[in-house]
Amino acid sequence: MAQQISDAELEIMKIVWANPEEVTLFSYIMEGLAARGKHCQKNTLIVLLSRLMNKGFLGARKIGRRNEYTALVSEAEYQTAQTKNFLDKIYEGSAKGLVSNLILGDLLAEEEYEELKRLLEEGRGRS
Amino acid sequence: MNQILKLFLSMSFSGSLLILFLLLGKRFLKDKINRQWQYYIWAVVVLRLLLPFGPEASLLGRTYQAVDRAVARTVPLRQQSLPDAPESVPAPAAGRGTDNVHGDSPAGDFAAFHPFQDIGTLLMDHIWLVWLMAALGLMIRKATIYQGFIRYIKAGSVPVSDMEMLDRLSMAAEQASVKRPIDLWVNPLVSSPLLIGFFRPCIVLPGTDVSEKNFQYILMHELTHYRRRDMFYKWLVQFTVCLHWFNPLVHLMGREITRACEFSCDEAVLARMGYENAQDYGQTLLDAMAAVWRYRENPGAVTLSENKRLLKERLSAIVNFREKSKAMRFLTGALTLLVISGAAFIGVYPVVQAGSPEGGNPAAYDSQAVSPRAEKGGQGDMDGVGIQYSQMAEKGYEAYSLPLFQLAFCRLDEAEQGEWLDRIYADGEIAFMGAAVAVAEEDCAAIRNLAERIYEDGEIAFFSVLAPHMSEETLLAWLDRALEDGDISFQSVLFDALDRDEEYDELKEAQEEAWDEAQAAEYRAAGVTMDGKDYYYREQLVDIFLDMRPGKAFYTLSMNPEGTVNIRILRNDENEITGVAYMTEAEVAELLGESGEDSDDEADAETIPVDLDTIAAGESVCLGEYTLAFGDRIRYDILAETGTGMTVFFDRGEKNTVYWAAHNLRQEDEPLKCSAEFTVEPPIKPGTFKLYIQATYDTLEEVKGSISIVPADAS
Repeated sequence: MAQQISDAELEIMKIVWANPEEVTLFSYIMEGLAARGKHCQKNTLIVLLSRLMNKGFLGARKIGRRNEYTALVSEAEYQTAQTKNFLDKIYEGSAKGLVSNLILGDLLAEEEYEELKRLLEEGRGRS
Repeated sequence: MNQILKLFLSMSFSGSLLILFLLLGKRFLKDKINRQWQYYIWAVVVLRLLLPFGPEASLLGRTYQAVDRAVARTVPLRQQSLPDAPESVPAPAAGRGTDNVHGDSPAGDFAAFHPFQDIGTLLMDHIWLVWLMAALGLMIRKATIYQGFIRYIKAGSVPVSDMEMLDRLSMAAEQASVKRPIDLWVNPLVSSPLLIGFFRPCIVLPGTDVSEKNFQYILMHELTHYRRRDMFYKWLVQFTVCLHWFNPLVHLMGREITRACEFSCDEAVLARMGYENAQDYGQTLLDAMAAVWRYRENPGAVTLSENKRLLKERLSAIVNFREKSKAMRFLTGALTLLVISGAAFIGVYPVVQAGSPEGGNPAAYDSQAVSPRAEKGGQGDMDGVGIQYSQMAEKGYEAYSLPLFQLAFCRLDEAEQGEWLDRIYADGEIAFMGAAVAVAEEDCAAIRNLAERIYEDGEIAFFSVLAPHMSEETLLAWLDRALEDGDISFQSVLFDALDRDEEYDELKEAQEEAWDEAQAAEYRAAGVTMDGKDYYYREQLVDIFLDMRPGKAFYTLSMNPEGTVNIRILRNDENEITGVAYMTEAEVAELLGESGEDSDDEADAETIPVDLDTIAAGESVCLGEYTLAFGDRIRYDILAETGTGMTVFFDRGEKNTVYWAAHNLRQEDEPLKCSAEFTVEPPIKPGTFKLYIQATYDTLEEVKGSISIVPADAS
């Protein structure tokens, strides 16, 4: 999970994560990329997919001549890991620094602020 | 095991000749011939160096055998040696030859040589091990260097995530008809673009800041390498170089192929992209060389530019690139054929042929020939060796062991071989004759002298054994003589040996026709006319026509039930026709009775059925005891499914002698057959004999047939 993925690879992962089906087909990803205005060659996608598999983000099952891809890393897991990485790099592991920066920098909308507050309280009640 | 090394030496030598030929040809035709051809033609040489096959009639096969035999003669049989020990590598063997010269000096002096000789012997016996270890070591070294290189490249590489570049790679791959997806990495440590990986190909660039055009050319070049599977070719060549490490020419070839690989790749790229792009492509090469940084050695990796000197040559080749003319294409085709057939027919050391006499009966060799020698200790003097082999030949002959005899015989000198041939001929041992001439030198004096005697004696069977071992020239001389003498049976053998059977058939037909005509003319003079197969005498159709020559040597008998008269041709002692007579009833009865008797014969015959599942190699199976009298006729008629040689003989417990032995070898595409007929005649005394079937060389299976003995008094 410490593996970093490139922007192009992240695009693909997003399509796989957004797919409500359990498995994702090659053509689905191809169409997804086209829908996002990121046309790419077939071979390019194959190369990117195989890189994702090597990094452990995707698993593939070969059925006949088509591959079925499944995400081995969920979106939430990825975000958590990325956030932790980001925290370590920018705020030296301090979540407080991040949150205060979000508030002070006026980066939160009113509803978002309220929801965060609720989440914070709920979280305290649980522990 | 030295056999394998010998095979390799011969392959190395054959290959070297081809390498020399190609290198020489390259000097003259470098720029004129298709570069791709120049690259792939080496594959023929590589195959020659790797594949231990050659046609039976090869250019050098005989030479290798001759060298082998010469070496075997100079090197004495060493006391502790295995059957294949006398053969060794030619060069050191010559050294041993000089050692033997010292053998003439006083005994004390000789003893001092012993330790060295032993070490030398040991080294000779295990030289193949040295060769193999070196080859293995080299292969391991090459593999580890390559692995280290790959690891080094991978460690510093970053996958290219620029979608645009990846897309362009995809399109280039499509254009170069490469199906497998190719990955693209960047590694600032590589000096020039390169391709790694056999099954997961990956192009590694020194940097991403390349112009669109350069990028396109680089991709085309590397993809072409991949499409042509150059990595496999390169590794095959490396493998060959490792096995033939002792041959500098093979190393030279390795380097030449690496160069040819780049040249031909350039050519293939230009052929695909159109040669108006030659200048641009050359520029790409120069750009690629701008950063000159080279990793120590990278066998197996395919790089865009290997070094400066090569680059220069490649540039000039690229700029001079043009479509090849038709004439050139024709020449290329002709050259290809020449090289391939050269590779096929240059031949290798014929292991199978050389190995079989030794492998055939190792037990006999060990027990009878080697052990007595072992007790005596190692006086490796030349005389001793000669005596030893002639003793061995004697033993083999006495024990009726063809393989042992053959083994010893081929190491005797020509004079001794001549004596042996005379003796075998005098004994009438046709099987031994076949074995002996098979290993004697073709057309040697001994064979020529014997052929002369045999021809005079009219021993056609022996002559046919010798014929395949005469040179074409000698055969032609014999044929002339046989034609002059009008000896049809010798002509038959000679035409057959010369592979001119059709000619013989024609000749025979013509002769028979002439003979028939002469015959018909002769009969006409006596008043008998012929119409096809029918005879007429005094205008009456003849029923029985009998023309008995004096001495009953030859007779013509014809019967036509529709005929009305029976006639007989009368002849005097000079074989001239004196008249024609009607046959009496008694004569007819006698004639018919005689011909009917043959069938009675069979009834009295004692038939010994043979039905054996298997006879182990070298074993003899006894089929019982039989009492034979003068005039008894013996007939062998046996088939075996598998096995190459079978001998049937009678034995009456006398040492070293068997009777009515028939030794037969398998003919191609036929089951092994042993059929022969004998009559019990003087000088062999009648008596009680044991009947045996022997598997002469290897195991016989499914031996079936019969042996019949027709008693003399039956007729």
